[in-house]
Amino acid sequence: MSIIYKREKIGEGIHFTTLINKSQKLNSIFINLLTPLSMETVSENAIIPRILSDSSKDYPSMTLLNKKLYSLYGASLRGSVSKMGDSQILILSAGCINNRYTFDGEKITEELIELLTGCLISPNVSGNGFEEKDFELKKQELLDEIDAEINEKRAYAFKRANQSVYKNEPAAISVNGNKETAGKVTAVSAYEQYKKLLETAQIEICFVGEEYSENCRDLLAEAFSKIKRNYAGDAHSERSPFKTEVCRVTEDHDVAQSKMVMAFKTNYEDIVAMKLMNAVFGATPISKLFMNVREKLSLCYYCSSGINAAKGVVYVDSGVERSNVEKAEAEILNQLNAIRNGDFTDEEMENARRSIINKWKGIGDNASSIAGWYLEQIYNGRSDSPEDQIGKLMKVTRDDIISAANSLRPDTVYVLAGKEENK
Amino acid sequence: MEKKIVKNERTGEQYTYVKHPTGLDIFIWKMEDHSSTYALFGTKYGSINTKFKTKDEPDFITVPNGIAHYLEHKLFENEDCDVFSLYAKTGASANAYTSFDKTCYLFSCTDNVYDSLEILLNFVQDPYFTEETVRKEQGIIGQEIRMYDDDANWRVFFNMLQGIYHNHPVKIDIAGTVESIAKINADLLYKCYYTFYNLNNMVLSIAGNVDEDKVLELCDKLLKNNDNPELETAFEPEPDTVYQKEVVQKLEVSMPIFNIGFKAKPAKDGMEMFRAERETNFVLSLIASDTSDFYKQLYDEGLINSSFSSEVFNGDGYFCSIFGGESRDPRLVKDKIAAEIERCKKEGLDRERFELIKKAYYGSLIRDLNDADAIATGMLNFKMMGDISIFDAIEAVAAITFEDVQKRLETQFDTENVTLSIIEPLDSKEGQT
Repeated sequence: MSIIYKREKIGEGIHFTTLINKSQKLNSIFINLLTPLSMETVSENAIIPRILSDSSKDYPSMTLLNKKLYSLYGASLRGSVSKMGDSQILILSAGCINNRYTFDGEKITEELIELLTGCLISPNVSGNGFEEKDFELKKQELLDEIDAEINEKRAYAFKRANQSVYKNEPAAISVNGNKETAGKVTAVSAYEQYKKLLETAQIEICFVGEEYSENCRDLLAEAFSKIKRNYAGDAHSERSPFKTEVCRVTEDHDVAQSKMVMAFKTNYEDIVAMKLMNAVFGATPISKLFMNVREKLSLCYYCSSGINAAKGVVYVDSGVERSNVEKAEAEILNQLNAIRNGDFTDEEMENARRSIINKWKGIGDNASSIAGWYLEQIYNGRSDSPEDQIGKLMKVTRDDIISAANSLRPDTVYVLAGKEENK
Repeated sequence: MEKKIVKNERTGEQYTYVKHPTGLDIFIWKMEDHSSTYALFGTKYGSINTKFKTKDEPDFITVPNGIAHYLEHKLFENEDCDVFSLYAKTGASANAYTSFDKTCYLFSCTDNVYDSLEILLNFVQDPYFTEETVRKEQGIIGQEIRMYDDDANWRVFFNMLQGIYHNHPVKIDIAGTVESIAKINADLLYKCYYTFYNLNNMVLSIAGNVDEDKVLELCDKLLKNNDNPELETAFEPEPDTVYQKEVVQKLEVSMPIFNIGFKAKPAKDGMEMFRAERETNFVLSLIASDTSDFYKQLYDEGLINSSFSSEVFNGDGYFCSIFGGESRDPRLVKDKIAAEIERCKKEGLDRERFELIKKAYYGSLIRDLNDADAIATGMLNFKMMGDISIFDAIEAVAAITFEDVQKRLETQFDTENVTLSIIEPLDSKEGQT
């Protein structure tokens, strides 16, 4: 199914992208603010979307705002923060059912856009900071969330590994910051940073729906025309530099199962070829890692690979018994070496290719997947549709996969070590 | 073959239902302009179905816990390869899951839909295991069970169920225990397979860009006739009261995590179960969703954070309402919730918000119609709940009144019949390893 893509400039460093897909029964709007990751501002940035999505000048409490959303047929309005390479992305998103599904043809999409832009542009402020009481609750929540990172061992191991992989780079910074940076945020410092972001950040607005809506475009353009801009330029990432020697970190934890994260770096340019290499290696249940390390040798409960394209990093993420950690590491390297040596069948290659095509073709069915796809494209200075990238994928050869695998240099092995088994 | 088109005026949507001569219920929902297709082939057989009989047996038999899940793992393997390798040729993304009351095999794909469907229909109808392949799986499933031992959110939930239920098998981990799976062998697997993987006990549900005739043609070709075994399942008698009022475990977490479960009488199946579930969900929304003053009060006092949520958990022989989240003082949260429930029983729920909550739920049903996955899952779930359709559900919700909901508050929430489950952080000394 083809998706119609249209990107319009509606302000200095502010773009409005429309993605039309006839199958959508929902209208979704994503407002992304892209800014460099930095220890100075990371926790302010993490707290801002939490505050903006919970109240506004017109709806000064979360109860009032939520009642309004319920009246719009259970529309959603969410604030979140994520990372792409060396950049931090603040996201305010909203979604509701298409107007024609309402009982009386109410224009709920337009109402929702006004509500969303109201949250972004006219927050609930007192004095020269965010409203103090709500701010304190959000700050405590952020601190609790940072504390709670240890609860999810797989994600925690991944976060700790990243601190070694991207040592001294912005990408090493956790999306929420740490206890120290979060502890320093005040209602005033967060509000100051918020104002600065509205002035300077790259702003990418994305609308996903069944048809192009001039109404919605105009409502958004008008709301953003009220902002005074002093644009700082597009967000971007640097490739992560190679280490002279592999960094090894082991940390003991009181858990039953160990987690191991291995990272490899590359300066290989052809990212589509690298994605196919990754699929052959460990990104599908028919990949080398899954079939051998998990199924054949039963060394891991999960063992899969992934890519951070913006940074040029391929990683392997696994859950393994402590006594099997060394064996698993050796076997993972074995499988990578097999690809480097061309020891994979045409069938393995074509299976991997089909699996990626299947995924990319279905991206248009889901609003946040397709919005995420184009945000990544825009971030990397492209506007490839999933079909465009499938075209490129079809041209990737066996030799390209071998070169991609040979470009990988071992960088980090991180182990979150569990207890020795009792039995 | 019995075939009908089921339509809904309110949404303008429709699907096709077929009762196949083999006994299989088939649902096909065509989604124009959609790229992917999602197909589910499921049996009404989950972790709780450990006691059963068929017309060939004089008495009920009981099998080890974890067998439905074990069977799911083993069916994913053919005589010479695993099922993922078969799907590799079509590009479909495949998976399977076992829940308390069902086991489902699924795929999602954009190309080669009928080849993928052929794979699905074939492997689920073609069990193959030997003592050796069964033994090998014990390691993998053992690892899976161990992984959940570290998962605080999983533990807090099962600890609560173990507090609520004396006998009902819903309190046992879906995968079973390391001890129970050690008792599983090829004979038992075949026994359960032929009992529960009977097409009379199964549903095929497909949503997406599919041609109905081609689907039915494949079904005619591949579905195997089998005799209806007249399956009956049973459970040990379950007292009305909870087994334990509080269950506490320590794990490596930063803040206490809690689940509070209100035990209620189980609902019958079909529309009665759906209404009990939906009306009780409305009670939960009125009391504790983020539109309520009570939620705001707990939040402002710092007793809960945005992880706080509530849900109804029900099925064959069990029904409870659960509040869960993180808190520095879970016992106080429990007391406050109980007090709020008593207050609402006395003063009545908030009538004004009831209409808002209904409207929002209608919106969520429409949202689901955007998703092949949600549609296929919905058609299958409603069928297995007891022969109701996704559209019956939409219409039933429209007919629910405020009085119905107020009544559910009286019947489903006994503030004396509650289990509090807490995962506490390790003491700082124990944390050092």
